[in-house]
Amino acid sequence: MTTVNPTTPDVVPPPSDDTWLTDLRDDGSAGEQALGRLRELLLRATRHQVWRLRDLLPGAGAGELEDLAQQSANDALIAVLRQLGTFEGRSRFTTWAYKFGILHAGVAVRRQAWRHREVPLPDTLNLVDTGPTPDAVSEASQLARAVEASIASELTPHQRRVVLALLVEEVPIDVLADRLGSTRNALYKTLHDARHRLRTALIDSGLLEIRPDRRTP
Amino acid sequence: MTEPTRGLSAEKINSLLADTSPYLSCDDCFARIDEYVERSIADPGHEDPAMKAHLAGCGACAEEAETLRELLSASS
Repeated sequence: MTTVNPTTPDVVPPPSDDTWLTDLRDDGSAGEQALGRLRELLLRATRHQVWRLRDLLPGAGAGELEDLAQQSANDALIAVLRQLGTFEGRSRFTTWAYKFGILHAGVAVRRQAWRHREVPLPDTLNLVDTGPTPDAVSEASQLARAVEASIASELTPHQRRVVLALLVEEVPIDVLADRLGSTRNALYKTLHDARHRLRTALIDSGLLEIRPDRRTP
Repeated sequence: MTEPTRGLSAEKINSLLADTSPYLSCDDCFARIDEYVERSIADPGHEDPAMKAHLAGCGACAEEAETLRELLSASS
């Protein structure tokens, strides 16, 4: 005969952050169960991200998308376990873990989308003259020409290739990093420096205003 | 040799000229993104200038932040 404790909640409360960390470091059954819970958590994140980015993979069926989510969850699980010692409790553990799932799924989808595509690496930006235009369009065209000229004159060849590939050809940053043997971090720094040069050139030529909140320290 | 670009859209010009200062690397953004999104949900007025600048200038990180926001909103 079983008895029911009327104070027993119907829903098991989610593990606390401390419970997650303790259980994940346990070599016994508590550790195994925690690993299972963590993988489910990561799969929730990877499925969400793969589904969100599914338009990047127009030919992929549900099975292929699920495979990507499952593989990404496996990769994220390894990453989380490797980084477990860096968790500082600045967010909930589940939020911290989610970001690994999201990262791995996003990278996987973008890589898959570009697997058979040539990555364009133009070193010049050639705008087509669209002919006579109304004033507003003409102003925009003038700015576009100035941006084009600054890209040619102010950027290094490497900055030019990175900027044009990322921002004009819209190559995903992790795909470009793969193709160039670089890292997302390094490419973003190149992009940041290049943008600074472009902004400075256009501000100096009077075509771009300094943001009001940047005029004073 | 690449095909001539038909014209830079306003969106692309804005992206080319984005002010991404103060600088924050993608690795640093990843290290802070969980805390940033949690705080932004709890307090829509939460300010982190470096994170804001990075997310405005890095499409991949911005997209990841949005996914995290959706996940947390769905599970709250």
